[in-house]
Amino acid sequence: MAKLTIPAEEWMFSGHAACPGCGPALAMRLLLKGLGPRTIVSVPACCWTVIGTPFPTTALRVGVLDNAIEATGASISGLRAAADALGLADVTVVGFAGDGGTADIGLQALSGMLERRTDAIYAMYDNEAYMNTGVQRSGATPWGAWTTTTPVGPAARGKPEPKKDVMGIVLAHRPVYAATLSPSFPEDFDRKVELAKGLRGPRFLHIFAPCPPGWRFDSAETIALGRLATETGVFPLYEVLDGRLRITRKVSTLRPVSDYLAKQGRFQHLTPEEIARIEAQVRTDWERLLAREREDGPAPA
Amino acid sequence: MLEIRFHGRGGQGAVVASELLAQAAFLDGKMPQSFPFFGVERRGAPVTAFARIDDRPIRVRTSVTEPDVVVVLDPGLLATTPVSEGLRPGGLLLVNTRTAAEALAGPVGIRRATVDATRIALARGLGTSMMPIVNTAVLGALSRASGAVSPEALDRAIAAFVPARPDANRDAARDGYLQVRAAPAREGPSAAPAHPRPPPVPIPEGPIAFLSSESTPTAAWRTFTPVIHRERCTRCNFCWKFCPDDAIELGADGFPRLRAAFCKGCGICAAECPPKTIEMVAEA
Ligand SMILES: Cc1ncc(C[n+]2csc(CCOP(=O)(O)OP(=O)(O)O)c2C)c(N)n1
Ligand code: SF4
Ligand code: SF4
Repeated sequence: MAKLTIPAEEWMFSGHAACPGCGPALAMRLLLKGLGPRTIVSVPACCWTVIGTPFPTTALRVGVLDNAIEATGASISGLRAAADALGLADVTVVGFAGDGGTADIGLQALSGMLERRTDAIYAMYDNEAYMNTGVQRSGATPWGAWTTTTPVGPAARGKPEPKKDVMGIVLAHRPVYAATLSPSFPEDFDRKVELAKGLRGPRFLHIFAPCPPGWRFDSAETIALGRLATETGVFPLYEVLDGRLRITRKVSTLRPVSDYLAKQGRFQHLTPEEIARIEAQVRTDWERLLAREREDGPAPA
Repeated sequence: MLEIRFHGRGGQGAVVASELLAQAAFLDGKMPQSFPFFGVERRGAPVTAFARIDDRPIRVRTSVTEPDVVVVLDPGLLATTPVSEGLRPGGLLLVNTRTAAEALAGPVGIRRATVDATRIALARGLGTSMMPIVNTAVLGALSRASGAVSPEALDRAIAAFVPARPDANRDAARDGYLQVRAAPAREGPSAAPAHPRPPPVPIPEGPIAFLSSESTPTAAWRTFTPVIHRERCTRCNFCWKFCPDDAIELGADGFPRLRAAFCKGCGICAAECPPKTIEMVAEA
């Protein structure tokens, strides 16, 4: 048998209520593999509340706190304080929230948690819209994407605003560790989770999480789409440890973004000019990332 | 008043079916009502929707618990959901299935009808083979088997309210109308009285959620099942690694095995298997 490249143990139960091919469901499964059983997860209102905890069931073998959508950052500060008061120093406290609950509604609570230097991991699973309530645009929805609140028609071309740079906002708080992760690269994903687990202080994980019904693609393509997102530069994989940025998945030549966009119904309306505009932005961002990595240099031995 | 309950799975269009039915009834000059059950509407998950049709304004606003007609968009639900619960004597059970109406195990005293709406939908190019959209074909069958709405009104409702491929949907409804087959009610001692409601789940002290989600299998969600052909399997375990439902386990011999109770049929394992040794096979 080929050697397992990620932990064998499962801390997420089957039978959960995620759609077939759900990226966020795989994200939770991989996250818990890396974190193990001594973990408490705080979940705000989002798809994962419905996926994981319809009363009286739970899809997690670890403790779960359901909390309000604004409150993930505050709730993990509170959980950390409670765990410390009980002498549970070995427990990892994790917030697991959607992009709407992170980039928009819970942004101040996230900022507060980072600034307080809470010893916890905040994981944002980014399915790029408010999916649980039926695909409304969020601050993290990319430019040009169709959602039910950024329609496509004679007078509208999908989302007119660019995607919010959540990693940029988080990095401005100088966290101990911040990284981008994708379930399409499970080994890189697991390494980052285990690295984060071993650190103390505020840590942030930005997880790419394709949503078949929301992005309108075949559920079998979840993994392939995640790979394309990284290979086109749409979702580069990198980490920032002690302020030093390192790209963890080197891409020598970016594939054209159309390879990624063409697979999804939410981008079907885009014209060649609009695709070129996205391409130009992706390449600019990628060059900036490479420049920052060069500037930061390798970690001191 | 005619009360109708739809059972489908998320993505098949059960909610839209109840809306279209109400629109068609309105075009027939009736006073309809339509609304879904508010629950988990995940693609593949069981979904319930309701419709009422009357000549007078309808005041009642509650779920339909004693329907005159039950419409089942997915035959797999017959095994997992008590679809005929509360059906009134003399009522109608309409199922999308390849099975003949006579062979349908409906309750005593209930008329039965069947239509192969999946085949119609696929022939008309509606939805994908993984998830055919069967609602308009089923509505055509419903129009004929129940007389709830006229086929003309259904044609017009589809033209006016179906945004994608209205022509193919209208043709599917006409196919359904022509192809539906009915059977008389089964005879025998009448069925037991309405199902007693299960008692409320007691809330224990301590953690609120006390059942694992593995107490709620999701096998009924899927349309296609992965079949793993061992001969070509290299035991790379990619299928295990990428399954969002942890529905593949690795045996001591290293070969993957399907945990069929929990597979939703997303197709990821088949797509990611490097030697392409997993085949997605349509559920019977
Ligand atoms: C203050 C508040 N506003 C709105 C809602 C309704 N609501 C529940 S889940 C949800 C969607 C959350 O979206 P996101 O955080 O992106 O997670 P996803 O559903 O995409 O997984 C919304 C808007 C709420 N629970 N609380
Ligand atoms: S809507 Fe999207 S994110 Fe939510 S459960 Fe379904 S696939 Fe997952
Ligand atoms: S089709 Fe494959 S990947 Fe999808 S749920 Fe079933 S076993 Fe898992």
